[in-house]
Amino acid sequence: FTKSLPKPQNAITIAVSSRVLFNMDKEQQIYEQKGMEDYLKYQIEHEMEPFAPGPAFPFVKALEAVNTRLRELYPESEELFDVVLMTNSHAHAGLRLINTINHHQLFIERFCMTGGNSPIGYLKAYHTNLYLSADPMKVREALEEGIAAATMFNPPEKRTEVSETQLRVAFDGDAVLFSDESERIFKAHGLDKFFEHEKTHENTLLDHGPLKGFLESLGKLQKKFYAKDQRLDCPIRTYLVTARSAASSGTRALKTLRSWGLETDEALFLAGAPKGPMLEKIRPHIFFDDQLFHVEGASQLGTVAAHVPYGVAQKLPQQKPAKENTKDFSAATK
Amino acid sequence: MDSMVRNPDVKQRDAAQAVVVAVSSDAIFDPEVEQVHGATEPLRKGDAFSFMKAIQVVNERLLTLNSDETLLFDVILLSNDSEEKHSRIIASAKHYGLDIGRFCFCNKEDSIESLQSNEVKLFLSMDTNDVCKALQKGVPAALLYHQTDPNHQTEDQLKVVFSGDVIGSSEEMLHGLREQGFTETQLQGFKTAKGSVKEFAILMGEMRRRFGLEGSPLCTGLMTVWSSRDVCASALKTLRGWGLLVDEAFCLAGAPRSPILNLGFIGNTMKSSTYVKEGRDYSMYYGLEV
Repeated sequence: FTKSLPKPQNAITIAVSSRVLFNMDKEQQIYEQKGMEDYLKYQIEHEMEPFAPGPAFPFVKALEAVNTRLRELYPESEELFDVVLMTNSHAHAGLRLINTINHHQLFIERFCMTGGNSPIGYLKAYHTNLYLSADPMKVREALEEGIAAATMFNPPEKRTEVSETQLRVAFDGDAVLFSDESERIFKAHGLDKFFEHEKTHENTLLDHGPLKGFLESLGKLQKKFYAKDQRLDCPIRTYLVTARSAASSGTRALKTLRSWGLETDEALFLAGAPKGPMLEKIRPHIFFDDQLFHVEGASQLGTVAAHVPYGVAQKLPQQKPAKENTKDFSAATK
Repeated sequence: MDSMVRNPDVKQRDAAQAVVVAVSSDAIFDPEVEQVHGATEPLRKGDAFSFMKAIQVVNERLLTLNSDETLLFDVILLSNDSEEKHSRIIASAKHYGLDIGRFCFCNKEDSIESLQSNEVKLFLSMDTNDVCKALQKGVPAALLYHQTDPNHQTEDQLKVVFSGDVIGSSEEMLHGLREQGFTETQLQGFKTAKGSVKEFAILMGEMRRRFGLEGSPLCTGLMTVWSSRDVCASALKTLRGWGLLVDEAFCLAGAPRSPILNLGFIGNTMKSSTYVKEGRDYSMYYGLEV
């Protein structure tokens, strides 16, 4: 029956680490306080106890719902989501993880337990389209290798209920779908200069950001539903949630998306207003933003938000800027 | 008839307690295309060379932990070469400081018998036919092959990876394979492979336990290539029952192995039952022509 699984290059591969798929807080604490031996011993002793769902769990369930609909319409196609468990956990915890997957009836057949080694090589080998992890270092490493990635945290206390039949993904614009070039202007020269710059460059395309490819993958799947007359009932819905304003700086963002042949189902221009309340209404399974401030704000109001540690907004020392950013940035400051 | 030569430069192991591994000389030293008569310089390194070095590191670490350790790798070099090459092989081993306990020189036809009489726990060769013949006679064997990525050449860790497809197999699973078109011979091959890998797995489990969880020169793993996660789970339980708790586990569910192989973690392109891999460079596997 493994023949029914798509080849990695045909599928949209979503790699999730064990700590974002499941709640392993207690175990993580044991690891941090008592070390690897006790941690693994605990895992083995509690092997028959499945973990509770983690922050990425509803997202993964929604991916499976989309797959079910895709299989109905295109039974021969390999263009499906393929969820891979990618963890640098020791295989001693392997049975507990497999038991948990069985318990929750997740359709995850592929996994790598790397026993402490970096999973980055495997991410590339599996043509990973999106990597979700609780470890910001690994997420950064993945981004540097050109793989869309985001850090996930403990889910919100009061979690907004999300759909079980429609996958909803929300994206910030700058430094997520687009490069961080405009954010750099804003940070260096302030809001007025930012508006001025965006107006002047309204017809210049923004460069792409780390999650553009993932939006593209979602769009490709959406078109498969439209082709079968299921636009209204499409099980995938995407949102742009940006601090840009509709009247001015938003234009450049929309034009860029359009010229990429991409669109989001809804575009919400908040003109700097907090994103939490809007996200609460949208109820996405996941929201990607490059600024922790927005990630935390979203989480406080019940939305599962993931941090994309990319671009000028990061507090950690700058990684070497991507080639395209350097090009645009130097043009802007002339 | 074979000729067993003890290596005077290497301390002899207690073969009854050691993990006796026979390695084909063609794997350790590059089999030269031209036989230059009277050549005396050391033979060039072969594809299994850094595997040999990795084994050495494991032995050295074991002895550091316990100078009376008897559970060590005991390597026999198996050579079917002509007599004039014998001394050159021995000299080359000395030149590179290889931890080879004994040299076994014999004809190709007598190889299997030599392996059997020396209670070899695993026979490694680069020749598929040799490996298959050994397996058919009940000698645990695996195929060594060369990893081409030069960026992944390390000699400091020996990685031994077992096949989840074979170890996790059950009557039920085999029945399922029968329905998918596998022949009885192939299915029997599975059962034989599972039986013959058991002893080696037990030894690896024991050896692995000599080291701590982190920083071990011996790393063990499990890879399930085309079976489901439940077969992988079954394999993990079976290995645990044999005393081996693996460090790494992979379940590919039909995903192609070659991208993973090119990482140098596991190297083989044939469906196999035991992968033994040293420092990201090679892998050895049963020649199961499935």
